[in-house]
Amino acid sequence: MNEETDRALRDGALMDAIMRARLTRRGLLKGAGKGAAALGLGAFLAACAKGTSEAAFDPKQIFGGQPGDKINFANWPLYIDYTKDKEGNRYIPSLRDFTKQTGIEVNFQEAIQSNPEFFGKLQPQLQAGQDTGWDIIVITNGRYFTALVENEWVYPLDPSKHPNFDQNAAKWAKDPTYDPNNKHSMAWQSGFTGIGVNNDLVKGPVTKMDDLANPDKVGKGLVGMLKEDMPDWVMVNLGIDPKTSGPTEWKEAAAWMLKQRDSGVIRQYYDQGYIDDLTAGNLSATMAWSGDVLYYKTWAGYDNLVWNFPEDGALHWVDNMLVPAEAANPAGAIQLMDYYYQPEVATAVTEWVLYLSPVPATKQLILRDAKKAEEQNYKGYANKLLATGDNPYMYPDDTLLGRTSYGRELKTDAEREEWDAIFLPISQG
Amino acid sequence: MAEGGAVQETAAEPGGAQRGLQSRRRLVPYYLLGPAGAWLLVFLLLPMLLLAYTSLQSGGILSGGFHFTWEFSNYVDGVRQYQKFFIRSVEYSLIVTFVALLLAYPMTYWIAFYGGRWKSSLLLLILIPFFVSFVIRTIQWKFILGDNGFILGPLKSLGILPDSYHVLATPLAVVAGITYNFIPFTALPLYVALERIDKRLVEAAKDLYSSRWEAFRHVVWPLSLPGVFAAFLLTFVPATGDYVNAAVLGGPGTTMIGNIIQDKFLTQNDYPEAAALSVVLMLGMLVLASLYARILGTEDSTLAAAAGGAA
Repeated sequence: MNEETDRALRDGALMDAIMRARLTRRGLLKGAGKGAAALGLGAFLAACAKGTSEAAFDPKQIFGGQPGDKINFANWPLYIDYTKDKEGNRYIPSLRDFTKQTGIEVNFQEAIQSNPEFFGKLQPQLQAGQDTGWDIIVITNGRYFTALVENEWVYPLDPSKHPNFDQNAAKWAKDPTYDPNNKHSMAWQSGFTGIGVNNDLVKGPVTKMDDLANPDKVGKGLVGMLKEDMPDWVMVNLGIDPKTSGPTEWKEAAAWMLKQRDSGVIRQYYDQGYIDDLTAGNLSATMAWSGDVLYYKTWAGYDNLVWNFPEDGALHWVDNMLVPAEAANPAGAIQLMDYYYQPEVATAVTEWVLYLSPVPATKQLILRDAKKAEEQNYKGYANKLLATGDNPYMYPDDTLLGRTSYGRELKTDAEREEWDAIFLPISQG
Repeated sequence: MAEGGAVQETAAEPGGAQRGLQSRRRLVPYYLLGPAGAWLLVFLLLPMLLLAYTSLQSGGILSGGFHFTWEFSNYVDGVRQYQKFFIRSVEYSLIVTFVALLLAYPMTYWIAFYGGRWKSSLLLLILIPFFVSFVIRTIQWKFILGDNGFILGPLKSLGILPDSYHVLATPLAVVAGITYNFIPFTALPLYVALERIDKRLVEAAKDLYSSRWEAFRHVVWPLSLPGVFAAFLLTFVPATGDYVNAAVLGGPGTTMIGNIIQDKFLTQNDYPEAAALSVVLMLGMLVLASLYARILGTEDSTLAAAAGGAA
């Protein structure tokens, strides 16, 4: 090759190499390598580099000062009070009221479909110490929540900035085991994992976990299980405390699950889409979240469905609001988070979402709304509100809560891999 | 610049004008390749390289992220742990491809040979479902095949099927769903190949005392083999990696390798392992496709068929 060619290749760009000199196989590979390096690896290396400063956060400094004009709020689908205005456009009343009161605009996005997916999206930016674009995110307690806290990827909250929370939050929402002293989070909504039953298809009462492995009670090929909640839920019902469990206990739970699978009762292992099959009559019984079944039973008229609290215990999970590191408007974020602990606002959300509210005062307000509706002759609506307010699984007392447990927090990648190695093959089959 | 250089070279030598023209002509193919080459580079080659790069990383998402460490154990562990799913996916997609060929061949044969004026409209009928999203069509099958839906419901109330019978969450539903989704991929290459066959050859065969069946066997079938080959590949390769049907219509015991890879990427955030499995799947498909091409190479097969016919 002549001198011109060598110079072109040393400059690096592949197009240069083609345009200036004769193309040989060696030249092509050299140029391609450089091109790939320039375009591809740079981005990867940047993502992998540890860029976060490990200095301790000072909550007073972070949450002090004037809140900015805009808050970016990422949440799960259908997890806030929606309604339609006169022209039929959908809007969120509680956020509209917040903006009216404070002048801060809220950009609410249903950006979270699952914890691992959303975590996967945020992780590269958090690792590199960059702004994720969100001021508030809602993550369930579990391995991803723990990872965000342990890696210092969420800000510790300023305790002096959430008076409504301090005054109105339920006991279970304050100082939970997965976030002592609510250092980083405030609960958004919560729920229980229990057994959803279609009374038309089961052949007897299904109130225990073992019933879900018994073909005489639930039939063959008609039972659903929730992939993510399964391990913790089975452990709770076997009398094991998930929080202190180790690989021996995990293998015990896995053995039960294999026994269940071998008995032929399983229809499918679900990520979250069990409710369609339950309402369609394809399932006789399934692991289910309390709010889902409550909605269909009380509000959509499916009288044949019921949600049972398993005799040996249920899983309690909480979706928590967090402020990611490098958020643009933390002062505004904590103001919005605390706003949702005002009883009236919390009632608006819970009446729509139908999951456990972290504000117990909402119970009386729901019953008051039920009475108001009855006075205005909306009998059906009043009855539904009444059933919701009186539901023990919406406002659990201490005895009920004592029979529930949080799941195991997997703190390291090694624990996570072992857990997955034991439990994933069961649902993957 | 190149032309300047070429002109400079030629000015210094005798017969230079001739040389200049020749070297410019030699560069024209590269100019023509340029746009497509750039496209393939950015959208095919680079992603492949990034995938391979990711597959050799190690680490975890909860702690420290992923780093490039030439981790070939991702491949070894992946194949060892998930070989059952690779095999199952290949099994399913072989069934899918054969059923699709069996269904599509007569249909496209009829359209190509007897379609007449309505050829394009009939083809359009095959393609119309394609205008609706793949995922939505698969979800619709959940309703169609529902335990008490409008197919199984009447059959059950008539007593033809037992009450506990269900199609969803079985391998049958998954294979049926994949076949349904890939029939256009099978039908189109077959149609193209059959369309191109000169109908007068069939006439000539009949003039030489062959029956309709023999005419098909000795004339039409060998000539359509390139189409069968293309249809097979176009159906088999994507069907193996399919995950939507197994996720929506399947149950325990129908998980395909596509579902495993999806789980690894989105649920476990185990990007290196997922990338390794993807690379293995791609290489596996490449190897199978090249073997298939070798054994059933298009020209050889037509010659072989002709020779077999003559003998």
